[in-house]
Amino acid sequence: MDWIRIIENTFRAFAGVDAAYFALAAIGLNVQFGYTGLLNFGQAAFMACGAYGLGLTSQYFDISFWWGIPIAMALVIILALLVGIPTLRLRADYLAIVTIAAAELVRLVVRSVKFKRIFGGSDGINTFSNEFRALNPFQPSAQYGIWPFRYNGYTMFTLLVGWSLVAVVSVLVWLLIRSPWGRVVKAIREDEDAVRSLGKNIYSYKMQSLIIGGFCGMLSGMVFALDRGSVQPDNYSRDVTFYILTALVLGGLARVMGSIVGPMMFWGLYVFSDNFLRQLVQSAPLRIGGVTIIQSTQVGAVNYMLVGLGLIILMSKRPQGVFGNRNEMALDGR
Amino acid sequence: MNAKWGIRAMVFIGGIMLVLCFAGTQVSAAENDLFVIAQVNHQTVASGISTREPVQGVKVAVLDEAGVLVGEAVTDDMGEAKISVPSRAGYTVQLDTSTLPDQLSLITGTSNSFVILADDFKTQIKRVSFFIGDVGVSTTTLVEKISQRAADGIRLGLIIALCSVGLSLVFGTTGLTNFAHGEMITFGGLMAFFLNVTLGIPLLVAAPFVVAFGGLFGLGFNWVIFARLRKRGVGLVSQMVVSVGLSIMLRNMFLFQFKGRTRPLDDFSLQKGMDIGPIKITPRDLTTGIISLVVLITVALVLQRSRTGKAVRAVSDNPNLASATGIDTQRIIQIVWCAGGALAALGGIFRGLDEQVGFQMGSGLLFLMFAGITLGGLGSAFGALVGGFMVGVLVEMASLVVPSELKNAPALLILILVLILRPQGILGKKQRVG
Repeated sequence: MDWIRIIENTFRAFAGVDAAYFALAAIGLNVQFGYTGLLNFGQAAFMACGAYGLGLTSQYFDISFWWGIPIAMALVIILALLVGIPTLRLRADYLAIVTIAAAELVRLVVRSVKFKRIFGGSDGINTFSNEFRALNPFQPSAQYGIWPFRYNGYTMFTLLVGWSLVAVVSVLVWLLIRSPWGRVVKAIREDEDAVRSLGKNIYSYKMQSLIIGGFCGMLSGMVFALDRGSVQPDNYSRDVTFYILTALVLGGLARVMGSIVGPMMFWGLYVFSDNFLRQLVQSAPLRIGGVTIIQSTQVGAVNYMLVGLGLIILMSKRPQGVFGNRNEMALDGR
Repeated sequence: MNAKWGIRAMVFIGGIMLVLCFAGTQVSAAENDLFVIAQVNHQTVASGISTREPVQGVKVAVLDEAGVLVGEAVTDDMGEAKISVPSRAGYTVQLDTSTLPDQLSLITGTSNSFVILADDFKTQIKRVSFFIGDVGVSTTTLVEKISQRAADGIRLGLIIALCSVGLSLVFGTTGLTNFAHGEMITFGGLMAFFLNVTLGIPLLVAAPFVVAFGGLFGLGFNWVIFARLRKRGVGLVSQMVVSVGLSIMLRNMFLFQFKGRTRPLDDFSLQKGMDIGPIKITPRDLTTGIISLVVLITVALVLQRSRTGKAVRAVSDNPNLASATGIDTQRIIQIVWCAGGALAALGGIFRGLDEQVGFQMGSGLLFLMFAGITLGGLGSAFGALVGGFMVGVLVEMASLVVPSELKNAPALLILILVLILRPQGILGKKQRVG
């Protein structure tokens, strides 16, 4: 077993692009779920808004990719209003149900044959990133960084953009939560009726929180799309939201640090488990006493099984995660 | 960690794994090699719906890139010819047109050979399809189309209603929105596959066992996880997130053992449709529809008339009041989980007959079930029956107007409209749900 390789990949994933875009999405989810108590199970759809906002600039409008930002913001607001208006007056689980449904529907619409001309169908869009690549200050093919954090020039660029956005957004969110606005949303999480009795418009605060979290998700989708150089509908499936949620809970809800460190740990652990298992079954399936335990095609399923198990155990045993504060975690939907 | 709970969890997870191990064995043995599977279907279009029936006894050959014969096979009763190939490389699949049954030929405009590229082997199996018969201009009338869709919708609606009773009752009695409910359906489908295909037990004999296992599976959810969380006073939102974790874990356990493909059950999988008035329906679909209806009526009667049913509704209405009147709420909750699991497993068998069995068959229905129980009124058992049924019918009817790939879209529309206009649903109590 090549331990050097496993450790190298684990460290690289720890600070990699996947961790960066997960962190952005997790910051958004943290604003919604951690601070306001809104159970958004459709963060993947907000990410898709960001990615397709960029994609539409080349696929449909044929304009500079910078226009992707306002387009994506408009898409986020439309989606947030669509899911928020009917549900934000109701109990937490209604929002969860509608967002999960809306996210699934967004994915079906963008991958449909009917709208292929606009969204590129199941092939997605891959013609939008040239302008972004032209801004790259690094040599795309050269290697940068010190061991074990070595990345090629193009990845360096998306890492730089991704982590800079994480830094900026997390500072903004931290300031926002310290502001009067932040105190109101935290109070809404704790006791809606008390806040309502103080004359605050809860509905409007919740909607603002949903949209702000959606913007973070949008940036996450953009970083992801720019890194891959393509937008694929199936990258925004329902499970993506759940993995981000797991990463967030791992780091600790209602803590800005938690939503950054959580995704880093999530990807570190995920890549470690993935690399370890793959090396274990690389040459031959693992057999114990003639019974095949695991073969190479099953590694992916085992990884995600562990993710699910991790979420169950974390949420029931240590809902505050690594950094969280248990006192902030009195979530209850009823 | 509490030792007792650890043991419970191990027993539960071990039990599922053990069962699934068997379900997977037959498959993993066959997948060590590469295959090309050619499927030959006779395609006919009636009532606006194309039906495909497998054609037996057609010879199919596979040639490599140099034109050398690699292997040939004759299609079986599933219309499939399976030919082993040595490596992931380019091949040409040829259908021997002289072996086609009399009066049938390849659909005009299609070729009798099919070129496969090395990249096409995404898994160990590459499937190619040949269609024979004639796809003429559809002669169906609008009435026929609508009635056919209505019939399909009624069947789908009955299955959704069957599956969502448990989801709604669990919500009513415990307040939990269980995102892992879809996995109960998948469990039923996979168990049916295991007993029927792997072990070769006739489906009619196997079905009661599948339903019983489904009940135990549902009971296990409560026993291992949710009963404990309730006891510790864990918030409902946290419980909901736990159910999401459970859903991810179980779905990947199913994927682990069953692999990503969808496969049909052995019994009743291929039947010719009968014409009843303007609609075409297979005896299998007619039977599953009738059984679903009978089961649903029984469930409604039990809830309405029996002592336990009344207790379930009482707990669903107001757990504290019910408990104060001497009802053992924990036992009622167990009954609800068990019955919900059993009904979901039955729905899983029917869905497996209808569509095929796959590791995601249940989670795909989750959204429709949510739409159904919201429409009917969250927590109300009758609401789940009525709402689920209406959503099924609507989704199928909608595919007359919207493209079939987006036929679930109207369900979201219903969900949103119901929440705006009448958040308590059709049969829900009017109360503050904010």
